[in-house]
Amino acid sequence: MLVSDLFRLSFHNLLLHKIRSLLTSLGVIFGVGSVISMLAVSEGAKRKALSQIEAMGIDKIIVYSKKPPLAGKDSSTSNASFTETYGLTVRDRKHIVRMDNIDHVTPVRDSRFKVMKGTKRLDLKLVGVGSEFCLDSGCHLLKGRWFKPVDFVNIRNVCVIGERVKRKMFRIGQRDIIGLSIRVGRHLFRIIGIIGNDHGTQYPELGSPNDMIYIPMRTSEAICKNYAFVREGRNAKVTIIDYDLLVVSVLDVTHIDNTAKRITAYMRKTHTETKDWGVLVPLDLLKQRERTQNIFTIVMGSIAGISLIVGGIGIMNIMLASVYERRKEIGTRRALGAQKRDILLQFLIETVFLTSLGGIIGIGVGVGISQVITIYADMPTVYEAWSIILSLLISGFVGVVFGTYPAWKAAQQNPIDVLRSE
Amino acid sequence: MTAPMEPTSQEALSIVKLEDICKTYVTGELIVPVLKGINIDVMRGEFVGILGSSGSGKSTMLNILGMLDVPTSGKYLLERQHVETLSDTELATIRNRKIGFIFQSFNLFPHLSVEQNIEVPMLYAGVPRKVRRERAIELSRQVGLGHRLGHRPTQLSGGECQRIAIARSLSNKPAFLLADEPTGNLDEKTSADIIKLFHELNASGSTIIMVTHNPALEAHFDKVIYLRDGRVSEHQNINFGGGPDVGE
Repeated sequence: MLVSDLFRLSFHNLLLHKIRSLLTSLGVIFGVGSVISMLAVSEGAKRKALSQIEAMGIDKIIVYSKKPPLAGKDSSTSNASFTETYGLTVRDRKHIVRMDNIDHVTPVRDSRFKVMKGTKRLDLKLVGVGSEFCLDSGCHLLKGRWFKPVDFVNIRNVCVIGERVKRKMFRIGQRDIIGLSIRVGRHLFRIIGIIGNDHGTQYPELGSPNDMIYIPMRTSEAICKNYAFVREGRNAKVTIIDYDLLVVSVLDVTHIDNTAKRITAYMRKTHTETKDWGVLVPLDLLKQRERTQNIFTIVMGSIAGISLIVGGIGIMNIMLASVYERRKEIGTRRALGAQKRDILLQFLIETVFLTSLGGIIGIGVGVGISQVITIYADMPTVYEAWSIILSLLISGFVGVVFGTYPAWKAAQQNPIDVLRSE
Repeated sequence: MTAPMEPTSQEALSIVKLEDICKTYVTGELIVPVLKGINIDVMRGEFVGILGSSGSGKSTMLNILGMLDVPTSGKYLLERQHVETLSDTELATIRNRKIGFIFQSFNLFPHLSVEQNIEVPMLYAGVPRKVRRERAIELSRQVGLGHRLGHRPTQLSGGECQRIAIARSLSNKPAFLLADEPTGNLDEKTSADIIKLFHELNASGSTIIMVTHNPALEAHFDKVIYLRDGRVSEHQNINFGGGPDVGE
């Protein structure tokens, strides 16, 4: 039998029972749909996470201060020591700047002032930053300007605010806030610019750059030196901390691991008492995240794959029933000269057609599901060409796997028996 | 293929020759001999009837003649070639090319058009589409249903269905037609028409073997083989050389 005739025959048979064909392939439709949407969601999540990490900069090493596990050790509880010193020091910064492969180091220091709006405390931070911070943190200017060298030199009381600061501090309708002043504690700062960060960057211990009010480092040093009063319950404490964050830019990304190791070694050597610091390499994080995302994708894919198997079993069931129902047809075809192979191929192609058709519809369903997820769950979804091709191949493959047995069963029908069974 | 042949010619070629065919069914411990040594010889251009009541081994005989089943022992020569030892695939090919099946209940495919139904055996013979179509048109005309090509079998009467089935059986120009009770599902008038068609085909050279339980038909055959209890009980040669009046 000619192959083209076989295809035509199988297709014809499917069209005979449109509703049944559709119902039969429902399993595959939703199986493929879930594969597509799962992959799209996980790919979207992956991209988002990666861009977050990437925004911190793949040529950056983040060195940060960390509150030691047991602040002030035992002495603080018994002795009620009021000062607490930890974190990165000026010495650390100066040393790191002089290391090999370092381009520049941008310091960040939290003033630990409470930012208030009326009597309400806002979840905002007033931080002193170096002049390169805007660039190094992947932020972009939304309005106004970033600090000029003159702001640093003259220790001006100016500030640049993060995107969300505006929303939290000012009325919704308020348009032009450049030039206005905000008050933090006893200090007034004139707003000169607004910056934003779209990547969802999160700095350890500090959080998002969108929730910060930036002032020049020198201003910060001038108004509060390097200590801050912190009230913890009934105890008032003085926290002495030079820098909360050092954003280290390297010259050559290929050696970033070595540089990070050297910084780590240095920090370990100088901060012997407690581990009050941390080193973060976004590139490492990126690689690690990629690995975990891949595992996530595999797990999601497997779950979706199970639904495909269920769909396949459904198809196998229907095809087996169909073989029984069409025994007379099979017997007649065999009597008229169809070989076992012809019958086998006819049924197999029918099943593969069915599952492939289900696969095509399933891709549409999957895209639809992902759109719904994107709209209602606010999760980014990304389809990739390979996931669509893969789904098509898998649905065809499901047809072959689950169609073979029914097709074989059909081919094995004894024409005498089936012709007699009228 | 089968050119009209002088009926009296003694050198008529053997189309089907069964020699000492036995068929025994074994079901568990039960051994049922159904055919117990059948010898028949069908010559080219003959119209042979195989008559027998139910249980006589008629169906088994039909299956073996139609190569849907293989004999337990004995020889089957189709056009002087042994076919009893062939594989399933080879048997399918021979069924396709050499045997034209006609069934009691027509066994047309209800969802295919008349034309497509006629084409089915050619499909399995790998005949190109265009040739198939031409031959289907030709055959449908031959059975008098040239105007019904686009119809579905469900839109046809029983007699018309059987005509289509006959056209289908002829599509690969087989060595012989094997009809299984072809008038069993038809009324008397239509039966007569179908028998008449068989005579016409026979007259134009087709060899026909018809299996039936209906003794009323025996007058139409060139040769009648009576089956009784798995054996050929009588082997009559009647009117070899001319059919009886048709349309009785």
